[in-house]
Amino acid sequence: MRRRLIATIALFGALTFVCCLLAPIVGSTPISLSRVFSRTIPFADNVDAQVFFVARLPRVIAAALVGSGLAVAGVVFQALLRNPLASPDTLGVSAGATLGAMIAITFHVDIGLMGITSVPLASFVGSAGALGIVYLLAAARRRGTSSTVLLLAGIALSAFLGALLRLIQLVADFTDTLRNVRWMMGSLDVASYAPIVAALVPMAFAFVVAGALPRVLDLISMGAEAAESRGVDVRRAERIALLSASLSTGAAVSLGGPIPFVGIVVPHIVRLLVGADHRLVLPASALFGASFVIICDLVARTAFGPVELPVGTVTAIIGGPFFLWLLFRRLA
Amino acid sequence: MIRESGNLAIGDFFFRRVRRREELDAHVPPLAAGRGPPSFSSDLFLSRCDAPLVTAHASRSALHAADVAFAYDRRGRHVVDGVTLDVPRGAIVGLLGPNGSGKTTLLRLLSGTVTPARGSVTIDAVPISTLSRREMARRIAIVPQETHSAFDFSVLEIVLMGRYPHLRAFELEGADDVAIAREALAATGTAALEPRRFATLSGGEKQRVVIASALAQSSEILLLDEPTASLDLGFQFEIATLLARLNRERGVTMVVSTHDLNLAATLCTELVLLKAGRVLAHGPTERVLNADSVRLLYGVDADVVRHPRAGHLTVVPLARAD
Amino acid sequence: MAAVPATRVIRATYFAVFAAFVAFSLSAGPQAQARRVVSIIPATTEMLFAMGAGDRVVAVGSYDRFPPEVEKLPRVGALLDPAVERIIAMRPDLVILYGTQSELRTQLDRAQISYYPYVHRGLADITETIRSLGARVGVAPQANALAERIERQLADIRSRVAKSPRPKTLLVFGREPGTLRNIDASGGLGFLHDMLETAGGADVMGDVKQQSVVMTTELVLARAPEMIIELRYARGDNADDADLREWNALPAVPAVRNRRVYMLHGEEFVVPGPRVAAATERFARLLHPEAFK
Repeated sequence: MRRRLIATIALFGALTFVCCLLAPIVGSTPISLSRVFSRTIPFADNVDAQVFFVARLPRVIAAALVGSGLAVAGVVFQALLRNPLASPDTLGVSAGATLGAMIAITFHVDIGLMGITSVPLASFVGSAGALGIVYLLAAARRRGTSSTVLLLAGIALSAFLGALLRLIQLVADFTDTLRNVRWMMGSLDVASYAPIVAALVPMAFAFVVAGALPRVLDLISMGAEAAESRGVDVRRAERIALLSASLSTGAAVSLGGPIPFVGIVVPHIVRLLVGADHRLVLPASALFGASFVIICDLVARTAFGPVELPVGTVTAIIGGPFFLWLLFRRLA
Repeated sequence: MIRESGNLAIGDFFFRRVRRREELDAHVPPLAAGRGPPSFSSDLFLSRCDAPLVTAHASRSALHAADVAFAYDRRGRHVVDGVTLDVPRGAIVGLLGPNGSGKTTLLRLLSGTVTPARGSVTIDAVPISTLSRREMARRIAIVPQETHSAFDFSVLEIVLMGRYPHLRAFELEGADDVAIAREALAATGTAALEPRRFATLSGGEKQRVVIASALAQSSEILLLDEPTASLDLGFQFEIATLLARLNRERGVTMVVSTHDLNLAATLCTELVLLKAGRVLAHGPTERVLNADSVRLLYGVDADVVRHPRAGHLTVVPLARAD
Repeated sequence: MAAVPATRVIRATYFAVFAAFVAFSLSAGPQAQARRVVSIIPATTEMLFAMGAGDRVVAVGSYDRFPPEVEKLPRVGALLDPAVERIIAMRPDLVILYGTQSELRTQLDRAQISYYPYVHRGLADITETIRSLGARVGVAPQANALAERIERQLADIRSRVAKSPRPKTLLVFGREPGTLRNIDASGGLGFLHDMLETAGGADVMGDVKQQSVVMTTELVLARAPEMIIELRYARGDNADDADLREWNALPAVPAVRNRRVYMLHGEEFVVPGPRVAAATERFARLLHPEAFK
């Protein structure tokens, strides 16, 4: 088992490392690495260096964060809800983040905090609000009740938040509606490191917390009673899982928008490759999710120059057929 | 005595057991008396038990419920209403009762999954409220009626989940954990299924694997919730035989909740009859299982006779009692 | 038959032509005049007021802001949410709507109310629209005068900047506050692009045949504009030049290096109406201040 764990992490880690290394180098604008790292040209004049360090590198890092955050959240939600079709969107956290962003865009909210601008901040607050509601609902459940209650509560919350979203779109004028729609398609062009650092804090916390979970996720995915009988404190485990997955989702969505498909399909692809044991699936998903979104973003910004595709479109177009191919390979 | 595996790795953290094993070797409890030699080595199982020392003058009662009561809805009816129940060590106790009599809830109370509103449950005279979940899991294992896996685990992975209470927080299963799991599979006749996916198994195979998983918990007590409910006759017979053998050869104490009166007659040394959350009767099977108790429990007139060839009681329903 | 004298023929022809003309304009009948006009488009509202037909406007759209008189008029929705019943209740004889509002058109057809479909295109279409709208409403002389005035102003601007070199310009009309994310820039189509070109700028995104382009920081660096103009037009937008600081993240861009990043406030930049000439002149003064000394 330990060998498998080390091999899995090494393999996926290598993939992610290569992606992080190559992605800033590739792009629609040709740059030369020697100029990028040249010490003779002052940074202010060095176009190549600015393309690398201001335009592309933050983008790659943001892609990695968003990808691993959404993938980890997907794995945890799927285990928590005992449902392979669950995703970071299921419990309404993503909808809360979208609502926050939309309020900020439509009402031209311009409050920044410690270098974080209004839209990501409002988005994170929105996701935290949704998490709070779901958490209260989860805490109110008595021991031994099924995850169906949580699932239904999440669906109801998503529906309600979706209705609020539509209400806001009615109020928005045409330009703001356009900006809202654009935000919902996801964008990783962060252009600076401040939003990355801001997202890193809750995400790091979420990852550390989730790090205690893998074996427990295996057990609770077999059912709450089965897990209890094997010595798991199911209530506490569920709360930790909910907290970490929601924080991760909130951070990811407020950084890059609600990029679809990553949270539901990356865990499945990883399971097809490494099996169902969460001690392998969780770290592998974090790494593969990062690589996946880095690659999708790369395609998004280079496929049709000079204008870019929204990264959400690319994740769907690439991820879908890939997943089908893996499935058919397995069945054959 | 236990082969050290190729797990010679990182630090004492994973090898703190070595010392414990040696300590435990000195206190391996005696096997229950059995017919014929054991078909496998049970040292491994029992040496991993964290149960307290069992000496000759220890309490004979493995599990004891004292006047427990429970209601799911605080204002509602008590599903279990003042049940006192004693499970002697090495016994197989059957819980019989009509639907809604509180059998499953009673099992949950005994395993500590739910806390009684009144009364207490003790295991080896220790109240379970003082035990952590992990400790409880090391002493009691549950075999639920049905097991649904959301993900595509292999049979070995399912059985290895039973080792969780014996492992530390980030500890991975070692070679001896895998050996225990394999033994459990062998004990339930499912060794050949090891590499298969759990979801692809038949009902009987699944149930046996789940029993193996419970065995891998190396607990002294096994609680089974209608273990043969969804199985065909062949599997029913197999499971019954398996459970009897486990009890005989390893001394596993069992509490079996069942609808199947004939299974109870075959397997159980004692019976507890439950109706509407209360104990109607309890005692040795021979004494308790008779036409009157069947009528009281199920409202059915039945013939309860000893079968000449099977050697145990059988229950044949005849007519609805008025 | 005897030959008809030539003069008689000529006079008869003139008379026939004149009569046909009168008949034609008379037969254009109820469409030649509109007394109660509903305009849900800011551009056409401004046009109507500018051509002196403001008194005929009975209701305006949600986003109409200019001239100040429109604040007193009832509002009946806009592109996405036209209030059909309110519009009909105004008893208009002409409704100016967007060409794409097919549902509204069907409703108006059913209510037998005429409409004028407006299509938002380039700079040249503005004066064309002014003329045709003026004719439709019945103030053709004023409309034509207005159109000519605008065209003359634009021609004047063109000639002033003709000799100066055209700086590569990025025209930004939207961006997420506080960052350089989601930059909306003008592409190679549309009246903003035309205004920029008329004012003597070279649109750095002119090759992209879209009205708006989402700019990424990499694209800005790649295109290296020599001048960046940001437009702010939202009501209550108190952005000031301090907000241009965010561009300092890209010092390699010539516009940033040479401090040629500007912000212009005003709704006239986003309404393709009669103020377009004034707006173009503001662009031109920014791009070529020396041409306006």
